[in-house]
Amino acid sequence: MKTVIEGSHAVSYGVMLSRVQVISAYPITPQTHIVEKLSEFCASGELQAKFLKVESEHSAMASCIGASTVGARVFTATSSQGLALMHELLHWASGARLPIVMVNVNRALAPPWNIWCDQTDSLSQRDTGWLQFYCESNQEVLDTVIQAFKISEKVLLPCMVMLDAFYLSHTFEPVDIPDQERVDRFLPRYELKLKLDPKDPKSFGGLASPDVFPEMRYQMHQSMERAKSIIPEVDDEYQRIFGRGYGLIEAYRCDDAEMVLITSGTVSSTGREVVDQYRDGGKAIGLLKIRSFRPFPSEEVRRNLRGIPKVAVIDRNLSCGMGGIFAEGLKSVLCNEEDRPTVFSYVIGLGGRDITQETISDVIEYTLEQDRPKEDILWADIKR
Amino acid sequence: MTQKIVFRRLQDIPPIAVSTATIAWNKTGTWRYLKPKYVIKTPPCNEACPAGNDIEGFMVLSREGRLREAWEKIKEENPFPGVCGRVCFHPCESSCNRKEFDEALSIQALERYIADSQFNAEREGHQRKPRRKEKVAVIGSGPSGLTCAYHLARMGYGVTVFESFSSPGGVLRIGIPEYRLPRAVLDHEISDIESWGVEIKTNTQIGKDMVFEDLKNYQAIFIATGAHQSRRLNIKGDHLEGVFSGLEFLRRIHTGERVSLGERVVVIGGGNVAVDASRSAWRLGARRVQMVCLESREEMPAFPDEISETEKEGIEILPSAMPLRFTGDGGRVKRIDFIGAKLGEPKPDGSLNPIPIPGTEFFLDADFVITAVGEVPDLSYIPQEVSVHKGLIQVDEMGLSHIKGYFAGGDATSPYHTVVGAIGAGKKAALAIHEYLQGGWSREKFRMIQVGEKGTISLNKYFHPLEGDANPPVVSFGEINTDYFEHRPRISIPQLSIDQRRDGFKEVHLGLEKEIALEEAGRCFNCGVCNGCDNCWVYCPDFAVKRERDRYEIDYDYCKGCGICFEECPRSAILLEEEGR
Repeated sequence: MKTVIEGSHAVSYGVMLSRVQVISAYPITPQTHIVEKLSEFCASGELQAKFLKVESEHSAMASCIGASTVGARVFTATSSQGLALMHELLHWASGARLPIVMVNVNRALAPPWNIWCDQTDSLSQRDTGWLQFYCESNQEVLDTVIQAFKISEKVLLPCMVMLDAFYLSHTFEPVDIPDQERVDRFLPRYELKLKLDPKDPKSFGGLASPDVFPEMRYQMHQSMERAKSIIPEVDDEYQRIFGRGYGLIEAYRCDDAEMVLITSGTVSSTGREVVDQYRDGGKAIGLLKIRSFRPFPSEEVRRNLRGIPKVAVIDRNLSCGMGGIFAEGLKSVLCNEEDRPTVFSYVIGLGGRDITQETISDVIEYTLEQDRPKEDILWADIKR
Repeated sequence: MTQKIVFRRLQDIPPIAVSTATIAWNKTGTWRYLKPKYVIKTPPCNEACPAGNDIEGFMVLSREGRLREAWEKIKEENPFPGVCGRVCFHPCESSCNRKEFDEALSIQALERYIADSQFNAEREGHQRKPRRKEKVAVIGSGPSGLTCAYHLARMGYGVTVFESFSSPGGVLRIGIPEYRLPRAVLDHEISDIESWGVEIKTNTQIGKDMVFEDLKNYQAIFIATGAHQSRRLNIKGDHLEGVFSGLEFLRRIHTGERVSLGERVVVIGGGNVAVDASRSAWRLGARRVQMVCLESREEMPAFPDEISETEKEGIEILPSAMPLRFTGDGGRVKRIDFIGAKLGEPKPDGSLNPIPIPGTEFFLDADFVITAVGEVPDLSYIPQEVSVHKGLIQVDEMGLSHIKGYFAGGDATSPYHTVVGAIGAGKKAALAIHEYLQGGWSREKFRMIQVGEKGTISLNKYFHPLEGDANPPVVSFGEINTDYFEHRPRISIPQLSIDQRRDGFKEVHLGLEKEIALEEAGRCFNCGVCNGCDNCWVYCPDFAVKRERDRYEIDYDYCKGCGICFEECPRSAILLEEEGR
């Protein structure tokens, strides 16, 4: 049976079903509803977890690191400036190989103050060694949170799950909340092998000389590479139990496409509608949704775009001085391909400006008209 | 631990940054490069007390109401808490760190309170018989002589005190007036000294009733005969009837002689004897008492408290004037002529050098004149070999004279006539005599028992040497963490009203109520001495401070040397020193 809940609460239910043991968080719009609900679950006893109220996001992540080091399943949630404040500890969490799961509600960074949707906050944390999933619906959010624990605990790397501010966080959708028993079967209790144990004290995060450091980073990267096969494995298992799966990427009507839209997050849903309209009108347009940004699904992307003449990447984010961050990643995995599409990079919808079907049609029309993009970045919705 | 681990292959390298072996051997205290340490430092009051009282120590005890123990603590160093609690000029209070915060602790009043609390308490019958064969003679039963005798008796020596006067006490009995020191208090403390086995032979003047030859059977002699000779003015008319020296006047009234004063009394002098004489004359019924001195009001050598009490009692002080002559009528003094003067550079012998100011002559009518312009020792009786310089017996800081076996102290050796100085000198001499008789004195020993740098010594340290630094540094106000103290005014000491004082020689200062006294003791900062406040224990972020009853210990296995305990100690009883590597 489906329940109509907002995206924030979809996160909360996913966390509760995952039988998290420690939650440490600091409120920030538009994330606050997530931990509010979780604190209610803790207070009512529905969730047997320690809820830590801390004085900043930095402390939130620090206490998650501590709790995870002793072997607890831990969770936190944040957004925007809060995520930025955690930055140093994000590196620590991944370097220490701790399977922490965090939800980030994508929101623009200030100034100017803006609480609306923008992916630049989490994409700024691209190189911190965290897995990153970008979700499209409230259901996907709930399912991804549960999957994230399983994936993280297998690869021993932390995982960040993203949802769009307001488009998901504050929007109510019908969501199937799985029953606990089946979730328990999917996600059993986990035992960390190397954990902080006062009975057998060991030194954690100590000094590693140049003699071993490169190998330890190599191992970290290998785990990310391994995640590329573990994510679909876990997703398949989830699909078998719950009937829903998402994959590393999702290719929609890409066969024989003249051009393909590359999307992430909620824009994918809007994009799908527009793709259907073009297909109905006889134009072969497809859509590729990138769900896992880290690890970046290079092989899957290359395979699905083989033979496609043009792609239009929609980035609701900006790396100032370079451009859209998804486009940048996409170009880099394609650059050595002999038969590669021309990449049109659109930066649109920053700071929560709506990306409408009209906007996406404009993107498609321009891409179809031009042989090559006239500029490296195409600002399709800028007032001129 | 020193074994080098080499990783040759990727699979040998641990997946996460964790030590390959236990770190149980490596307690977190190894991070430390600064090390906190509990220390006992020297409170400034203790350093300032010439008698060597452990003031901080008796404050702790009295705050807890352990008055008997407080009394015994004082008595370890000083047999005269009741006397000092009344007549001392309390240099301890002048150096109290609390005066920088609000007002100095009322130490003297508390010392008196402790002594008074034991006045009627049951006495332990000491009545010790000498344990040692050596005998010591003490000449003079003033504060210095009796203190020396007391400590020697406590150390087990047979001591005989020779006193020329008919009862013991020296200046305490024949000099200081009863309104400052009731004789019952003095008698009580002297009888306590006697109970330790000290024998006091009164009416026995060395040089008259006995000679030094008669003291051959004593292995050491302590000379403490004070300064009982008044300086003369040597001006015209000073032999007239009705002109007395201050000491003579005080001696007479304290031995019960009737002195006929008349109505107008003039006292010449600005020191403590002059003040005592003026205030006594006022109590004996003189209508008008005037004090005239060479010094300006600020330069007067009498203790400031005493001067202000003098003025309250209506005694006029006429400063900066020198007497020219006394004029009599029928052989009895009637008038004194003065001239205004200011003080020039002191004369080569150290005496005052008044410069008269022409045209400022005046005169006072007087029925009775008291001259108190300085007191000096009478040393005519001492053996010639004993070295005398500028009228004082020459001794070193511990009271040793140039002649083996001869020691001296008190006003006979010092120009600064204070009771507490005399007590300190008597104590040092007792120790010097003990060491002399046991043949082991050294400068090193003196250093070990010093309290600070002002010459004070501690017998407690002598008998119970401290671990570590024998003479730790004195705590300054800057080292006190005043965040932990509330501003609280010093108690005011109750006094007789002026009307009540006129009626005889009743003690002016009254005792304290118990509650007030204990609360005042609670104002003590306890500079440099742990009093178990728990701050270090509470603040240590690593739980490295262990508390065992009233003691603390640092578990250096876990102490990171953060210094928070050091910072938060209210009284600077923790040191932070560099870790030895």
